[in-house]
Amino acid sequence: MARRDRAVVALVTEQFWPQGDFVASSNGMPDVPRLRLPHPVAGSGHDAMGALAERIAGRLVAILRGEQQADNVVEAG
Amino acid sequence: MTLLYAADEADALEFLHTNGCTDGLPVVIPTRERVDRMVLASGLDADLDFGDMGPGGGATTVEKIAINAVMAGCLPDYMPVVVAAIQALLQPEFDLSEVQSTTHCIAPLMIVNGPMAPACGITGSFGALGPGFRGNASIGRAVRLCLMNIGGARPGQSDMALLGHPGKFSFCMAEDEASSPWEPLSASFGYSPSESTVTIVGVEPPHSVVFVNDADDPDSPNRLLRSLAAVIANTGSNNASFHGGTVAVALNPEHVEVLNAAGMKRGDVQAELARLATNTRGHLRSLAPSFVRDGNPDDPISAVRGPDNIVVYVGGASGLYSAVFPSWAAGAHNNPVVHQRIETDQACALPGAS
Repeated sequence: MARRDRAVVALVTEQFWPQGDFVASSNGMPDVPRLRLPHPVAGSGHDAMGALAERIAGRLVAILRGEQQADNVVEAG
Repeated sequence: MTLLYAADEADALEFLHTNGCTDGLPVVIPTRERVDRMVLASGLDADLDFGDMGPGGGATTVEKIAINAVMAGCLPDYMPVVVAAIQALLQPEFDLSEVQSTTHCIAPLMIVNGPMAPACGITGSFGALGPGFRGNASIGRAVRLCLMNIGGARPGQSDMALLGHPGKFSFCMAEDEASSPWEPLSASFGYSPSESTVTIVGVEPPHSVVFVNDADDPDSPNRLLRSLAAVIANTGSNNASFHGGTVAVALNPEHVEVLNAAGMKRGDVQAELARLATNTRGHLRSLAPSFVRDGNPDDPISAVRGPDNIVVYVGGASGLYSAVFPSWAAGAHNNPVVHQRIETDQACALPGAS
């Protein structure tokens, strides 16, 4: 989707952040936007997942709209 | 190939360790001469490219395979087996990038059939998946080093297996054709017995299955099948929860003879194991409700999709124990078996070799 110039953001948990970097680089898209989530998300329960979704939704949309920089871009300086 | 220079082999080894090019154990230093001999033994051009290897996407050239084969301690004669294994792994349906990246403990199990197995000293008997056999150990290790150094699989970065897998050091054995009453495993894929092949399936480490035959009990063969099927359908495994993937079953010579004496051939055993390897929906949902749809709790849920998803071969020494290798049961192609002919007619005679 990113290659087709669609607005994308990958949600990557803390534990898999290095893998996200690796996959992005090995696919020739090191700067593809990524948003860092706490780990784990799966199995954390309905309320916890709902709270996380509430917390990140605004930022996720802002990244998709290009109004904010993704976490990987911010960290890269 | 980029040539690197070191003061001596000890320094070269430290360089390779420091740069993550080893599996953590010492390797043979891949000097130009050693690599050239390995390439020559393949009978292929050094720059022949078999394709990109995931997840890192490195170009899989004969020369790179040769470098890793040298590092693993292979003899040049082993090179056609290593090349065939790599070709098999690169078949798209194997989903190598996903296999390398998953958090599950899966590794490619290599089963070698045909004349190249004894020619390379690849055993299928006592301790075939343990230490002590240069062919088994170094060929399996060469493939793993390729997966790391060409494919880019690094623990915690791109190989996300949570605990790992001891077979990620080496996971190669032969089918013990001499002890088998059946045609070779490779024949079930259409190869002739004179052809050498490598069959690969991504699986967990072996799970032991204990069985004692009773020649006075006409149900004895069925007890063996039920024991094997129970381990294939082991609840808590991916096969039980995801109802797919391809498992391997290594029957020791004593156990395969029990089934053969009952008139069963490989295909019969595969079919019966596929039929028996089930759990009830209710039991599975009691353990993992998110993996199994709601429905009649008495419904049988198969652990594999069909007989072809059970690779049955003869291996290990005679005795009480056979083994089941459960699988991952995921990936776009659902974790299938792949196989490749070992090209021996390409090989060259090595100068100076007897």
